[in-house]
Amino acid sequence: MSQFVVLLKKELLESWRNFKWIWMPLTFILLGVMDPITQNYLPKILDTMGDLPEGAVIQLPVPSAEEVISMSLANIDMLGILILVLASMGIIAGERKSGVAAMILVKPVSHHYFVMSKWLSSLLLMWISLFLGLLASWYYTGLLFEFIPFSDFLLSFVLYGIWLSLVITITIFYNAFLKTPGLVGFISLATIIILNMVSGILTEWLAWSPARLMSYASQSLMQDGLPENTIASIVLTVLIMIVLLFTSVFIFRKKELAV
Amino acid sequence: MEIIENLNWAIIAPFFIIQLILLLVAIIDLVKIEKTNGPKWLWAIIILVVNIIGPILYFVIGRRNN
Repeated sequence: MSQFVVLLKKELLESWRNFKWIWMPLTFILLGVMDPITQNYLPKILDTMGDLPEGAVIQLPVPSAEEVISMSLANIDMLGILILVLASMGIIAGERKSGVAAMILVKPVSHHYFVMSKWLSSLLLMWISLFLGLLASWYYTGLLFEFIPFSDFLLSFVLYGIWLSLVITITIFYNAFLKTPGLVGFISLATIIILNMVSGILTEWLAWSPARLMSYASQSLMQDGLPENTIASIVLTVLIMIVLLFTSVFIFRKKELAV
Repeated sequence: MEIIENLNWAIIAPFFIIQLILLLVAIIDLVKIEKTNGPKWLWAIIILVVNIIGPILYFVIGRRNN
């Protein structure tokens, strides 16, 4: 276990030196803050900048606080996932390419710990960044529109965080058997987009799909209690994560022997 | 330019400050780093000119991992 702690510390130190701990939270905060601000100022901007004839009246419906926060969620769902995948696409593949992984694994280091430490450190960074980003969105929505209960915010944060955890696990999984970081990023994104699209179209059949967690997260803002099928979706997501992690350790060990 | 005066700066300012921090960290790192993925001057332009996305792109793509 102490070996795991050492590896985890090494990972955290490395992502600190890469400035990941600075730019990732800041980026998520920017993503979260953007929607409340633009939604609030959009009518005013249209008023002054828009080339409208005199007397034209545009009535934009004022979105509710819950709607603004779910817009932030949707924003993070597009750009946040892109950033997460790009940031973690080289996490094992890059080290293998440069030979660092071989240098570490030549020592009696468990492959389990090696992969798990990378997984956990990315997960930690993601959860903290996501929390700060959504917290900023919640606070700004509160200032500019109205405050929604903090517990509602926490619920949607956790639901959404579980989906992003799967995104990271998928990236780590591809990392285990592909050597080129770019390829890892591309295939991970493709997998996530296909998953998203298919479960977006077949909402009835794939109600328990992990990709639905995003819409459950925003639904949970609008209504009381958990949306239907949320629990099934969470359970399935966690199961897939466990399976993916174990398979990636397995594949990684085989690949490592072959190289 | 009435709208600029009417903006609530207490609300907008953090947005710009975060952007500025990102930009500064990226530039300081770019100066210190030995080699980047692609020409250094190009990254300097990207970081300075492309708003928000520039520094992020630099951290994600521009920095060599080793």
